[in-house]
Amino acid sequence: MLHHGRAALARLFELFRNRSRVDAEQAEEFRFHIEMETAENMRRGMTEAEARRAAILRFGGQQRFEEETRDARGLVVVDNLARDARFALRRIVRAPAFAIGVIATLGIGLGTAVGIGAIVYGVLLRDLPFASPDRLVQVSFHTDGLAESGTLHSAPTFIHFAESARSFTDLGAYSTNDAFALTDGAVAERVTVAMMAPSTFDLLGVRPLLGALFERKDTSWVGEELLPVLISQEIWERRYGADPAIIGRRIEIDHGARVVIGVLPRTFQFPAPSVSIWYPAALNVRRPQIASRHLTVIGRLRDGATIAQAQAELNTLVPSLSTRFPQITSELLQQSRARVSVESLKSATAAPVRTQLIILGVLVAVILVIATTNVVNLFLLRTERTGHEIAIALSLGASRLALAQRFVVEGVVLGLASGFVAIPAAALALSTKFGFTEREIPRLHEVSFTTGSIALIVVCAALIGGMVGCIGLMRAGRAGLSDRLRASRAGSSQGWRRARNGLVAVQVAIALTLLVAAALLGRSFWNLQSAHIGFEPANAMTFQAPLPWGVYRSYADQAVFHARLTDRLAALPGVTSVGGALHLPLRGRGALGYDLQLRAGDDESRSTIRGTGNLANDNYFHTMGIPLRAGRSFQPGDLRGTPAVILSERLAIGIFGTADVVGRSITRFPPRPDMPPTTFRVVGVVGDVQRGRIEDGYSPMAYFPLLRDGDGLPADSNAAPYRPEELQYVIRGTQLSAAEIQQIVRELDPRVPAANIRSLGSIVDDATAHVHLTMLLIAVAGAAALLLGIIGVYSVVSYTAGERVREFGIRLAVGAAPKGIGLMVLGDGLRLVTIGTIAGLAAAFSLTRFLRSLLYEVAPTSVAEFAGATVLLVAVTLIAILLPARRAAGTQPAIVLRGE
Amino acid sequence: MAQRTGNEQVLQGTLDLLILKTLSIAPMHGWGLTRRIEQLSQDVLRVGQGSIYPALVRIEQRGWIDTEWRTTENGRRAKYYRLTAAGRRALGNEVASWQRFVDAVGLVLAAES
Repeated sequence: MLHHGRAALARLFELFRNRSRVDAEQAEEFRFHIEMETAENMRRGMTEAEARRAAILRFGGQQRFEEETRDARGLVVVDNLARDARFALRRIVRAPAFAIGVIATLGIGLGTAVGIGAIVYGVLLRDLPFASPDRLVQVSFHTDGLAESGTLHSAPTFIHFAESARSFTDLGAYSTNDAFALTDGAVAERVTVAMMAPSTFDLLGVRPLLGALFERKDTSWVGEELLPVLISQEIWERRYGADPAIIGRRIEIDHGARVVIGVLPRTFQFPAPSVSIWYPAALNVRRPQIASRHLTVIGRLRDGATIAQAQAELNTLVPSLSTRFPQITSELLQQSRARVSVESLKSATAAPVRTQLIILGVLVAVILVIATTNVVNLFLLRTERTGHEIAIALSLGASRLALAQRFVVEGVVLGLASGFVAIPAAALALSTKFGFTEREIPRLHEVSFTTGSIALIVVCAALIGGMVGCIGLMRAGRAGLSDRLRASRAGSSQGWRRARNGLVAVQVAIALTLLVAAALLGRSFWNLQSAHIGFEPANAMTFQAPLPWGVYRSYADQAVFHARLTDRLAALPGVTSVGGALHLPLRGRGALGYDLQLRAGDDESRSTIRGTGNLANDNYFHTMGIPLRAGRSFQPGDLRGTPAVILSERLAIGIFGTADVVGRSITRFPPRPDMPPTTFRVVGVVGDVQRGRIEDGYSPMAYFPLLRDGDGLPADSNAAPYRPEELQYVIRGTQLSAAEIQQIVRELDPRVPAANIRSLGSIVDDATAHVHLTMLLIAVAGAAALLLGIIGVYSVVSYTAGERVREFGIRLAVGAAPKGIGLMVLGDGLRLVTIGTIAGLAAAFSLTRFLRSLLYEVAPTSVAEFAGATVLLVAVTLIAILLPARRAAGTQPAIVLRGE
Repeated sequence: MAQRTGNEQVLQGTLDLLILKTLSIAPMHGWGLTRRIEQLSQDVLRVGQGSIYPALVRIEQRGWIDTEWRTTENGRRAKYYRLTAAGRRALGNEVASWQRFVDAVGLVLAAES
């Protein structure tokens, strides 16, 4: 005890030595004082121990006087904070592993959380960037009774509601189309156009940057007169040099010239940030119908009107549609079960991704909880280790308030230090947006890394740090002074031990759940990667050339342009082959295609088979690397007589029951019953490809010929069922730059934009991107959780073993085998891991089915992935247990027992 | 520990006076100062040993004492306190005012009941 006390005292002095010179001198002065008094006491006949104890008591609370002395110097609060911060920094530097663990854990956790949180908040919760956004609603029109359903409006339904409904100050409608091209100037440019009812601008409260908005009468396309458009600030600055004379100027668009009447500010990105030109919507009610609908309708609620009232009102207006438009009969309305629903525009915008975002939000919370939990654990472990010091500091009169401040400041300093990791992590997360784009997540363009994010990180970091410090303090402050000195390291309370063990078991469970999910997604990604895609993506590139509307009118005109462009491209050095088709494979979820009804031409007893139509030139299959299974590719003359067709293997088998079909004929039934069926002869069979997603499997496909010069047929011939208005080019052999391709296309016709210039491989990457991204996110979270779990297991097991070190010493002294001691510790740890593992497996088993849509050819409960993740987890945590177990087995009874 | 009864806590405000007076005899270090006060008061006045240090800082800030590090007779470094000229003047004033205080208290106590 004596030895111990003096050592502790020396350590206590040590703590303060490196302060400012004044503090150091003061400490020395006090030490001198106590030594003198001790010597004096010994002269009076006390033992050294008594003498020192009496001296310290007589001095009357060393730390209190240190503080009072410093207070007398008038430095009080600021000095205390600075001192505690310096003290904290020194403690941190003294235990770098601890500090790095805490800072990395909290920094990565917080950075990711703030990054994801900003996206979740920006998309789900933040107000739309319009005036009084809470009054904005989306109005959906449902016809559950019709085959082709959806929630859009047709022009008649919009006009009817807009003119009749009383719950709104305004209703607006819009649709978008990305197949327009600006053809004035040197380079043709593909643009996205929004067709918007003029009222839409009013209800959103937008003011033009320049010029004026549409008038209410600008609602349809009429004749040849020059109609108005609005353009975006972005295109005004980039393409028209921010020229104020743009107002009233004529611009050339492939669908016809237009006149610019206004420029909309950059802040207005409705309906999408990609829109650069706004047309007044053409609201055509010449043939009123509800079967085909393309308008999104939004509205602004009148003051006092609620969403429920508006919805009820609109539904009462549905039957009167047939009064206004007799073609929309009341039978049709009943049959189609027409009804209207209204929801807030904010929630309607976020609807497609709400579930994913909520999952993401939960993931964030989990990461943050794990990170915080672990930091608390590390802090507790450390507090226990330094608890002795604290007890002595208290006994020597350190005020509890000062001690509390020191703990909290240490927590806050650690927290703020982790902010240095969190800020770049969040900035990275928000600048890459985890690879998401506007296509997958609406309103993503509104999300960015702001000073608000930094402030949030700093505040959260400080709060979490402070909280961790408080927990450490509570723990340290609990143990009474005297019994801490006496019992020193013996035993923490049962409750705390249980809570700590519980936290670690939860961490193990979370880590295992995430590992299982990552394993399943990894397997899915692997399956997608190695799935047979039917073409050769490497060393090839692609772009599309949409022909201006109305310029190249016939199949022959269009074919001539494509043949010339193909020849120009094929002549470039390094290019080995150039092909073209209407649609490339892997165009993503819900890719549209030409729907075909086909039947074996020579057997009327067979039923018709559905397939997808495509148009391809002679070199397409060779260039894509789609294998020719039988017959040949297209050649001149294939459109004459009975036109040629090439079938994919799957379609051939679907129609004929065999792939050996070259020379046989098929009958195509056109989509409209008033058109006659046509016959084609099969000249070749090619390998299968996937039209949309790899997960959806091969698509039965029929290729019709794209022949140069229209095969010499008259311009009005429709021997081929489709026109090559927009052709997808594939170039094999070399990677050309976008500028090179644009240059070549421009030389042929400056009105043709070259769009979507990219490598063919990127198509495959896109097709696996959704799984890849989620897999990476979950794998990172899983790795972090595993790492944190290991730290958790290690700290708890070694702490528990440390608590029992005296018990181990006694056991060893009375003859227990060191191996047995190690096994005891091992058993303790294993119990923890086992509980966590069982809980984790149960959680994974019930949760992985939510991943089903991302899993390709692997079941959500696949045994191999569950087993693999479990083995990995147990193996790694075993290491975390073995280290303290070995240390316990190596306990030296003599040292331990003497030491206490 | 030595048991004493009847020793007096130093009256609030008088500690400064005692320190000044004791230092007027000779420069000394903090511990020496406490011992000396006790000796001079024949162990009647018990100075809470730690409490002289805040007092010393206060007095030093008034410019009545200054400090220097010296080596003690047994070779330890210690901080010595020495009265300044201002301190000597202050001592005179403090003593006079204390004397007036004691006299006043004496008059009150000597009053016939």
